This record gives sequence, structure tokens and C-alpha cells, in this order.
Amino acid sequence: MIVRLHRLRLVEHWVFAAVFTMLVVTGLAQRFHTQAWAQWTVNALGGIDTMRAVHRSGGIVCTLLLAQHLLVGICGILFLHWRPSMMINKKDFTDAIHNLRYYFGKTPTPARCDRYDYKQKFEYWGVVFGGLLMAATGLILWFPTLVFKLAPFLPGQVIAAARVAHSNESMLALLVIVTWHIYNAVFSPEVFPLDTTIFTGKISRERMLHEHPLELERLEQPSSDELR
Amino acid sequence: MGWVVRGWCIIICLWVCVPGMVMAEQEHACLTCHANKDIWDGASKQLLVDKDIFESSVHAVLECTACHRSVEGSRHPAEKPAPITSQICTDCHAVTGKLHRDRLAKGGLTCIDCHGSHGIQPIAKQQETCLGCHAHEMNMKLDDGSFASVKVDAQAMKGSVHAGLRCVDCHFGYSSKDHPQRHFKNKRELTLTMTDTCQRCHYDKYSQTLESIHFNMNRKGNDKTPLCVDCHGSHAIQSGRAEKLVSARRCQNCHADIYAAYTTSVHGEALVSDHNQDVPICSDCHTAHTIKDPNKAEFRNNVPEMCGNCHADEKLMKKYGLTTAVLTSYLEDFHGVTLSFYKDEKALRHIAVCTDCHGIHDITPTKGDHAVLLKNNLLTRCQKCHPDATANFPDSWISHYEPDLQRAPLVYLVIVFYKFFIPFMIVGLILQIFLHLWRYAVNR
Repeated sequence: MIVRLHRLRLVEHWVFAAVFTMLVVTGLAQRFHTQAWAQWTVNALGGIDTMRAVHRSGGIVCTLLLAQHLLVGICGILFLHWRPSMMINKKDFTDAIHNLRYYFGKTPTPARCDRYDYKQKFEYWGVVFGGLLMAATGLILWFPTLVFKLAPFLPGQVIAAARVAHSNESMLALLVIVTWHIYNAVFSPEVFPLDTTIFTGKISRERMLHEHPLELERLEQPSSDELR
Repeated sequence: MGWVVRGWCIIICLWVCVPGMVMAEQEHACLTCHANKDIWDGASKQLLVDKDIFESSVHAVLECTACHRSVEGSRHPAEKPAPITSQICTDCHAVTGKLHRDRLAKGGLTCIDCHGSHGIQPIAKQQETCLGCHAHEMNMKLDDGSFASVKVDAQAMKGSVHAGLRCVDCHFGYSSKDHPQRHFKNKRELTLTMTDTCQRCHYDKYSQTLESIHFNMNRKGNDKTPLCVDCHGSHAIQSGRAEKLVSARRCQNCHADIYAAYTTSVHGEALVSDHNQDVPICSDCHTAHTIKDPNKAEFRNNVPEMCGNCHADEKLMKKYGLTTAVLTSYLEDFHGVTLSFYKDEKALRHIAVCTDCHGIHDITPTKGDHAVLLKNNLLTRCQKCHPDATANFPDSWISHYEPDLQRAPLVYLVIVFYKFFIPFMIVGLILQIFLHLWRYAVNR
């Protein structure tokens, strides 16, 4: 077994997963407020005011989590010589096309990926930018008057736009998680019945060989320098 | 044998019929002349006796001479009979009550002036009995030294919805006994005492008032709060639905400043100047009997539904070129969503409802010059709940319209973006999943 993720990254993932679930529940209950289950949820959580307080607290946790993640990442890259393995590069696009050709049987082997393949990068940056958008629009909705104090030039409709963006972006995030992420982490034949890396932080050499061959090559070279 | 039987039959028939014939004959004798419409004493006094009316009266069993005692066949009509006096009545009807004794002692009026003569009915059945006195200007002395008029406008009474009722149906304490003398501290106490009478028929309305702010204030000792008759009137009572302006003015008596503000509003102006019957009057929003405290959350939280009664009515709004989207657009917005939960929770916290932006009694039109005025006022109205709101803040409510490129381009573009982006992403990802699975299956 090869160590793939630092323990703190595992904690980070599960805190985020828990808060994300809570935000989804309290958010959906507001979006689908006319539904009986939404009303039940709101009542169960002690009324709309209490539920909104819970939702906003969850939003703060997510925002802080995202901020520390970006800060740690940037500092690691700048000062600790971490490999910027999440950066999108030209190879990700060619890998994507390569794999599409592979799926259709045009090439015999799949793309040889590095530490993170293009699918993982897509999901990662989706979470980062989606998270930033959710945090920004959430704060706008929480402090609508402050927006115009800080930026008097903004038109009033930014509040209404933030509302539709917050609502739609959350739906997108939820749908991506329940389809794409759950498939890749649970139902994909390569990991089924469960990708245990997110619990143990470790990955088998065999899977590395299939999924991250370039990283494996580098790791097994004596000059491999860092791992995180 | 035959003639014996026939003879007995004739004797029996005569024995049975003759006394009756003799009795009937006496009445017939009077009515020979008095059933004639043309029988007059001089030019002023008609001497007609309507047989049907007499026979339906309580005195139908009496003979004419029981009262007209001085009439004797041989000397009548040459000799005029003595007039009917109260004494003839009191021979049979004992006078017990003070009111009657005083009245009779005073002279002037006789029993028949109030109770009628040939058509006399039991007191409970007879309107004229009461009107005999109460049709005249008369006052009742109250304990505080003031006087209350107890005159009844008989004409107004006949034109009222209660024209078919008898006095004693409402003034029920006066029916079976001698007219009681009552004492009231002041005029308001008289009204308060009488107010229970309405619930005997209108119990549904009465029970509705039990929840009202007026009743509760009355309970706490405020005797100025309106009772049934304060709004509906007493003898000249009219249907509550008759004319909206009349109905609205009832509230004006106490709520003059609110009525004044209302008449300047888009609704009130149409009512006063055009007699428009579509516009809401006081009772349409506050209800007529269950009037709730409008400062309580329960009332506030119901405001959008209340306005929606008309403003979500497609047919009615079309008439005035207004959109019915006002309600749905509000309910879909942040304030509306919050309100729907507050309603369920019976929360006491306030959230903006229709009246917070449009005004309460002074609701202005939303078109033309008024639109500018409404918009200018909006900031101050927002600031009631959002004290640090600045100039652009009111525009965050993009009004009751669906966002489009002209009115709210940013909002519109965000909606359009996600409308395409979400299906594109999800369908794309699901296709990827299927391709991945397919390749896996093929490879095996």
C-alpha cells in the first residue's frame, strides 16, 4: 500500500462532507418551501429562523474550510516546494480526448495520468470555484445592505441575481456529487464496493499502476522528493 | 209512520238552528248597515266594520253590544250611541301597571287609541300597540339627568330589513307583562342592555364578534367600542351588503383619521368618486364581525392572502389592467418564503408584507406618476427593517415582474445560464459514466 493522502486531508474531506450534507438539507428545505417534507424539516429544526442560523453557520464553516485549504495549498507550493499537482495543464485536455477515444475503442490503452487525473481535477476545481461562488452569494444574501455600503456602484439586482445563482449553483453541486462523485467513489467498477483511500489515506500499488502510473514511476525513482 | 219521522226531523233541526240563527241575526242586523263602505257619521268618521278583520280579532266571540252597550235596536240609528270609553275595556281588563294607570289618569288617550278597536289582537301580535305612544316625540329620563328619545320612526321601520318583525321580537321584555319601567344610568347603558337582543336571531354573527378586538375591549371596560346597533342602526336597519360607501362610513364614526387616509388611496378614491363596488372597504380586509387586532402577527401574516383575494383574481384584475403575478412573485421571493414559514410557526417576528411597501390605508396606484413616488418612498420603507439600507438597496427587489433583459438583465442571464449549464453538465457526466461502464464491460 502506498500513502496517498495526509491525515489532515481526510479530516478535511469528512468535515466538508458533513457540513455539505447539512447545508443541502437546510438549503433544499428553503428552495422547495412549498413541499410538505420541506415544512417538516423546517419545523424539526426549530423554525425557519433557527434553520437559517444553522444554514449560515454551516456556510461559515465551509467558507473557512475552503479558505484554509487554499491558504495551505498556496503556502505549501510557495514555501514547502509542494508539487502543484492540482494545476490544470495541456495534458489534461489531451488525456480527456485520449480516454474518449479509448472508450470508443479507437486506442487500445487509457491515458497515463499523473497524481490527479483530469476527472479529479475537474471535480476539485468545481468544488473550489463552486464553493467560492456559494460563499460570495451566501454572504451577499446574508448581508444585503452591506453590499451597497461597500460597493455603492453595484445595481440593486445583484441581490436577486445572487439568490438565483446561490440556488442554482447548489443544485448543480448536489447533482454532480450524487452522480459523478458517488459513482467514482462507490459504484465505479475500479473501486466497487468502496474507494477506501478517503478512510485510510492509502492506495494499492495495483490501482496506482492503473490510475496514476506517472506518479508511481516518479515515486519509485530514488529521487522522489515530496509526498502529501 | 213516515210523517212522524219527518216531523221529528224538522223539530230537531229547528231546535238546533234557531238559537244560532237568532244570535247571528243580531250581528247581521248591525252589519246590514255597517258592512257598507258608504256609511259615514258626517264627513270625517267612517262607520264601516270589516267583518273579516273583526272575526280574526281576539274579540270575535263578543257581540257588538258587549262594547257598544248604549245601542238599542228601536232607537238606533236615530239616537247616536255613547262613545267607547276606557271604562268599557277596564270592566274586563284590570289595569295593574303604573304606566297604564298614569296614562289613563292623564286622560286624552283611551285604550283603543293604542290597542285598536274591531281588529284588536293580543298585544304581542300588534305593532300599533307600541307605536300608539312611540310614534310620537317622547323622551325617557335617564339617571344622569339626560334624556333619550324613545320615538320610533315607523316609516323607517317599515322600510328596514326588519319590517316583518314585531316590536316585541327585539324588545322581548315588554311582551307578556305590563310595560315595565326601566332605569338606565345613561344612554350607552340603554344600548348595552339592548344589544343582547340581536344574538337571538343572529347568533353566528354574535359568536364571530366574541373573537373581535371590539368585543375584547368592551370586556375590559371600554363601553365606547361598537355594538351591533352602532354600525347597523336600530329601527332603520339595512342589509349589511347594501352599498359599500355606506358600509365604509360606519367605521368613520370612530376611525375618522383612517377613513380620511383611505379616501385618498387608490381604493378609497374609486369608492368615493366613482362608487366603484370592486374596491375593498374596511370590512373586506378587517372583516365585519371577527375584526382582529391588526397589530398582531396573526393579522399581518395574512395580509398577502388578503390582498390576493382580489389581486390574484384573474378576471377582476383584467378589468383594471393589473397583473395577478403580484402574489406569486411575492410568495416566491425571500420575504414571501419567510412569511409562509412564519405563518406555520405562528411566529411573532415581522417580515415585509404588501402593506409595508404599498402603504396600509393610503395605498397609492402603481402606475404613472405614482410609480415614481412609490419608488422614492421605497427606501424609507426598506429602512424600517434594514436601517442601514442605501440608495441602490430597494432595487434588490426586482418588482413583481419575471426578470427579463430590460428590467433585470443580470438576474435573467444568471437564470438562463443555469438553465443550460446544469443539464449540460449532468447529462455530460452521466454519459461519461456510461461510456466508462461500457468500456469496462467490453474489456472483460
